[in-house]
Amino acid sequence: MIHKGLILAIEGLTKSYPTGFWRKPVRVLSDLSFEVRENEIVGFLGPNGAGKTTTIKILNRLAFPDAGKVTLFGGQDQGGADVRRRIGFMPEQPYFYEYLTGGEFLRLCGQLCGMSCADTESRSSELLARVGLSGSRDTAIRKYSKGMMQRLGLAQALLHDPELVILDEPMSGLDPMGRMEVRGIIRDLKAAGKTVFFSSHILSDVEALCDRVIMLHKGRKVAEGRVEELIGAETLYIELVVSPVLTHDRLAAAGIPPDAGYAQGALLVLRAPDNGQANRWIAGLLREGCTILSCVPMKKNLEEIFMERVGSSGATGAAS
Amino acid sequence: MFRRIFSIAANTFRETIRNKILYAILAFALFVIGMTFFLADLSVGDFARIIADVGLASIHIFGVIMAVFLGINLVSNEVDRKTIYILLSKPVRRFEFIFGKTFGLSVTLLLTTLAMATVLFLVHFSYRYGGRAEVGIFIASAGIYMELVLLTCLASLFSTFTTPVLSAIFTLSLFFVGHLTNYLYVLGEQSKGTAVRWGSRFLFYLLPNLENFNWKNEVAYGGLKSFSILGWAAGYLVAYAACVLCLSCLLFARKDFK
Repeated sequence: MIHKGLILAIEGLTKSYPTGFWRKPVRVLSDLSFEVRENEIVGFLGPNGAGKTTTIKILNRLAFPDAGKVTLFGGQDQGGADVRRRIGFMPEQPYFYEYLTGGEFLRLCGQLCGMSCADTESRSSELLARVGLSGSRDTAIRKYSKGMMQRLGLAQALLHDPELVILDEPMSGLDPMGRMEVRGIIRDLKAAGKTVFFSSHILSDVEALCDRVIMLHKGRKVAEGRVEELIGAETLYIELVVSPVLTHDRLAAAGIPPDAGYAQGALLVLRAPDNGQANRWIAGLLREGCTILSCVPMKKNLEEIFMERVGSSGATGAAS
Repeated sequence: MFRRIFSIAANTFRETIRNKILYAILAFALFVIGMTFFLADLSVGDFARIIADVGLASIHIFGVIMAVFLGINLVSNEVDRKTIYILLSKPVRRFEFIFGKTFGLSVTLLLTTLAMATVLFLVHFSYRYGGRAEVGIFIASAGIYMELVLLTCLASLFSTFTTPVLSAIFTLSLFFVGHLTNYLYVLGEQSKGTAVRWGSRFLFYLLPNLENFNWKNEVAYGGLKSFSILGWAAGYLVAYAACVLCLSCLLFARKDFK
């Protein structure tokens, strides 16, 4: 069946790894199903051992499932060379041939992807500039730092201009500047109409980037949905930041209980339980001559959702 | 398909020729072959024969060391260093990977064998007492090279499913057994038990017969002049190596990389 706009579909994926001749195999994935649609950025979350890397390996035919099915680009089998040509993959902590230079490695990748020499050269130059490795094109990979390897990994994944980009922990090993650049590249990919599926431990990055997230724990999907759906519309409290810090008497005069907030340097941070209370507090604070610096309705963040979902389904697993 | 195999082969060739251990083995091999020039003076009788005899034995032994050392790491290195993740995530089929790696190493072995054979040829040619331009050195070296290619295929087969140490043990065991299969057949035929006879015949055809590539004695005694002898050996190599590579591809096709 052809599904328009369906880029990746996983149905009932189950995988166990043998742990020894006599020992019982360890179940890494259990009946995992999800879909990724065209032009989405989907984050794949889970603690260590949740099965994220195993899923990504199965998507790239580096491992084979015991049961279940993976289809790509609207129902096509994942094994065909034409299908593989439409996928870009960066493994976690990518390793390369250390005796090659960055440029030589990309040339090899271009040849394997069936690109012409001219295309490979122009795309290599473009991508090395994009990931900040232009000056290291002719440097042997053995001299690259961990962050440079990560950047080269990203460049090789994007070299053949794939429609689906699968990234396993793309932010790991990067400094804040590098993380920002990778976030920029992922956003650019979406803007160019590509689909991005990536795993990460850095929840703030996932929250900032993803249209949808899939949470995995002990090989099972524990949550899936759009980030705003998961976070929910419910406001936990309203945070007011005011200046100056008031004494307990003046707080009482403004109608605010003394345990409603705390002092942070020269600022007073208050947590109003709802909008009505916040309005009454603001009026009282203004009467007391305070300046309202900010008023922000606080919602659950992805990290809290993640901890809730993972915590409710037990302790962390054993294999990734 | 051929372009991808060629790319992997070229990369494997580049990897192996940048291997310092390979150069160390090759340098020592060339040194030993060069020393046969002086060794001949110490021997009694046909001096030049000693050069061909010891020189070809050196090419054989050092060639086997190189083939086994490089062959056992052919696949396992890629898996251990996880470079295979990137390679196989490209539109590369697993059999293309196995073929490319094996061809790449075969080219490296061709060059090293050619270098050793050329040095031996020059040593033999320049020897004062009975030295001559012995073409048989190249014929025997071609036989050795074919044996090395077969050992590479066997090493790559083992490296698809076991550790480098076990791969080395299995490959070297087959190397020794491969030079004794004719005896196995003869001994089996002398047995009165039908099961033993059939068993020895089965093993004779199953195990590689590396004596098919061995013309060192003929060269040493000056009885090998024609390259036509290579035809049958090349046919045997192609048939046997094809079977071994197909088995490697079958084992590798569904291998999980953890």
